[in-house]
Amino acid sequence: MSRFSAHWFAATFALAYTVLLVLDLPLFHYYPLTGTLSWHPLPEEFGPSMHWYGLLAGAGIAACGAAWVLKDGYLPVTVRYWIWLAPAAAMAACLYVLRGFFGVS
Amino acid sequence: MLIPFLLLLHVLVAVGLIGAITHQAVAALRPPAPTGRISFAGRYRAVNAGLFARTVVGLYLASIVLGAVIYPTYRLDARIALEEMGLAWAVGLFELKEHWGGLGLALLPLYALYWRTADTHDNRGPRIAATWLLAFVVWFDFIVGHVLNNLRGL
Repeated sequence: MSRFSAHWFAATFALAYTVLLVLDLPLFHYYPLTGTLSWHPLPEEFGPSMHWYGLLAGAGIAACGAAWVLKDGYLPVTVRYWIWLAPAAAMAACLYVLRGFFGVS
Repeated sequence: MLIPFLLLLHVLVAVGLIGAITHQAVAALRPPAPTGRISFAGRYRAVNAGLFARTVVGLYLASIVLGAVIYPTYRLDARIALEEMGLAWAVGLFELKEHWGGLGLALLPLYALYWRTADTHDNRGPRIAATWLLAFVVWFDFIVGHVLNNLRGL
């Protein structure tokens, strides 16, 4: 049996991604104009920053850690059955966070 | 020249991904009858589950990697132009595409697990849900990518 828990991976990735997005705390920032990677935000002269890579890396590291350390058995069967709702809820949270783009305040 | 080539490759991978995940989503909903005469719809549903799951996972990862490679060009060339055109909704759609595409990665191991294990009463519901959710993400990302490329291509 695989040591990697897909259930913990899904739940942790979704939760970590949402928290990092809401708090605007990517693991790192990337500045494509200058090709600079930084752990913290840089001044405007570095150009626009990109958070997506940092969000993916942060959520991915947290999810891989949880998936290797925690066992499926720690989750009740009912929770495992509905665990796919975690990414779905995170998607809904993203839509809420981005609502300003669509003219919703 | 490299970016348009990578964008084209990204689209082709996405087309393959849409075909595979849609095929499997239909199969998950209603597995084919084991015997008897098989209709076109029956054949459409009769997918090799293991092979399709591995294909979907591979294509999804390839699509994410290609998208990540061309993303900086979008950020500098396309997004700024969209903002200058006052198309905030288009920028928002792209943001949503990227976030939902990233969250699809959370589903991927779960999706692979469901298709690696036998189709039983206990896992049928989660299997259908995970497959359809992933299919929704793939279709949404594909359509949004197409619309945005029409508005302001790379």
